[in-house]
Amino acid sequence: MFFDKYSKKEDGTIRFYDLHSMRTRVLCIIIFLICIVVIIVALFPPAWVFMAGFRTLKDFNNIPAILPEKFDFSLFAKTWNDLKFTKYYINSFYVLFGSILSAIFFNGLLAYALAILKPKGHKIVFGLVLWSMLIPATTSMVALFVNISKMGLSQSFIPLWLMIGANAFFVILFKQFFESLPKELIEAAKLDGCGYLQTFLRIVLPLSKSIVMVIIIFAINAAWSDFLLPYLLLNNSGKETVMVRLYMFQGGTATSVELLRAVVFSIIPPIFLFIIFQKQITQGAAAGALKG
Amino acid sequence: MVKANANYNSIQRNKKPWLQKKDIIGWLIMLPTIVLFAFFVWEPILESVKLSLYTAKGFRTQEFVGFDNYKALFAYPVFTKAIVNTFTYIFWSLLIGFFTPMILAVLITETVHWRGFFKIGIYFPNIIPGLATVLMWRYIFGEGKTGVLNIILSGFGIDQQVWFNNTLITIPLIVIILTWRGAGATTLIYIANISNIDPALYEAATIDGAGIFKRIRHITLPSIFSLGKTMLIIQIIAVFQILYEPLVLKQGGPNNASISIMMIVWNYANRLFNYPMAAATSVVICVFLIVLSGLYFKLTKSKED
Repeated sequence: MFFDKYSKKEDGTIRFYDLHSMRTRVLCIIIFLICIVVIIVALFPPAWVFMAGFRTLKDFNNIPAILPEKFDFSLFAKTWNDLKFTKYYINSFYVLFGSILSAIFFNGLLAYALAILKPKGHKIVFGLVLWSMLIPATTSMVALFVNISKMGLSQSFIPLWLMIGANAFFVILFKQFFESLPKELIEAAKLDGCGYLQTFLRIVLPLSKSIVMVIIIFAINAAWSDFLLPYLLLNNSGKETVMVRLYMFQGGTATSVELLRAVVFSIIPPIFLFIIFQKQITQGAAAGALKG
Repeated sequence: MVKANANYNSIQRNKKPWLQKKDIIGWLIMLPTIVLFAFFVWEPILESVKLSLYTAKGFRTQEFVGFDNYKALFAYPVFTKAIVNTFTYIFWSLLIGFFTPMILAVLITETVHWRGFFKIGIYFPNIIPGLATVLMWRYIFGEGKTGVLNIILSGFGIDQQVWFNNTLITIPLIVIILTWRGAGATTLIYIANISNIDPALYEAATIDGAGIFKRIRHITLPSIFSLGKTMLIIQIIAVFQILYEPLVLKQGGPNNASISIMMIVWNYANRLFNYPMAAATSVVICVFLIVLSGLYFKLTKSKED
């Protein structure tokens, strides 16, 4: 029965002893129904884009309908080829792999020094890193772009890879985790003659798989969705990522159904990532913000 | 302890140099990342300020003009419009975006069926890239008979709407899109908070005769409101930087009705290639945000105390 499970409810306001009242029972059902409606609102737009992708341009522009007549995957295949999506996927994956490595290596190294080595003056460095969280990246984007262009590094992936290596949020996540590692293991590594860098690569990182995983997921999401700097740098370079292309399509020659299929291609990877790691992602979202 | 240490240090001073090997290696390990932070984060902030005080041809700075760029910016009617719009965005995002996650969190914590699914489903829009989200909603709020919402509304016998072209509701509609994408993350945080409330509080209140709504008002809401202060500032900071939505939906229009400050930066940098003016606008945003962030840190600090 619908109400049986309420005997185990231990959070929120309504408890099993409230259920003797008919009004509360009705309220419970209404709340449940509202939640279902909310989820439909949350899931409907992406679902609609998938469905709209199955329609032809003529059909889409003239007939007011939500469901497609038939599910013809060849339309998606044709748009994929026409818009040369393989190329932009490869570009985006280049950015992703470089970003993941850089996010773990550079932020990890700094956090390792701050949390474990603690050289003289490490507090000043950490203070500066914390301060940089105050100023969102978008505000200094223009100056950064001018600097990169002056160095001749525009039209290159290198700035995109390296930029995520300077992420204050990742440094803090790593630092918190490294501080909780057992000191004995690190001391033991030192006695065994492990160098400082070796200790990081062979001992600290393997012990921190869970936080590395979280950072990889965050880095993938950030690198895949990032648009502003990639657009400034890669615009018309032949190295455009999926997001940069998506923006260029919407102002360009692509038809509305082609654009919607392009949107589908751009949201498939994050959706897969989410389906696989939904637990880590939702828990990380709730816990990360509470600590910060 | 401190004294003992001092003694120890004074004895060891001859043997231990001011910088030990450990410190040098530590700094060498930090160095690459510090260089990255300097290049990508710290220097551009200073560079923005410097750039905003010069004129430039392309990327090359020409001559020092003091605050002329700022004067030009504040005399620029579109900038004034963007400032006004930003506060309109903030107003609507407080009205729509601030309370929605609270209500959703209260509702979801009252369910016992499918709660895991509700939590995952509500977070789902968050993983859709911002640009894709906007393009999707552009068609959902499409005009004419083939717009998705118009199709749905016609099922209820409601007339077709022009949505974004109605300047009165352009900004609220954009805020709805922002809320659709962002509310889930905040809701999860509130849910975690509500689940941590001591059940004994509710039991005690029930024994005292408090009904369900009284318990929500006096126990649940005060608990999430303390967190809400922080969320509020984070939200305002995010709204200040709004760019994709007005840019992709209507290029800041119709008639600059939705133009944001970040869009002015975008226009200066990408259409007019006037980098000093873009930098000046960035600096103005930056000053606003530093004040807000300072406020944020103060609030979170007082929460810990």
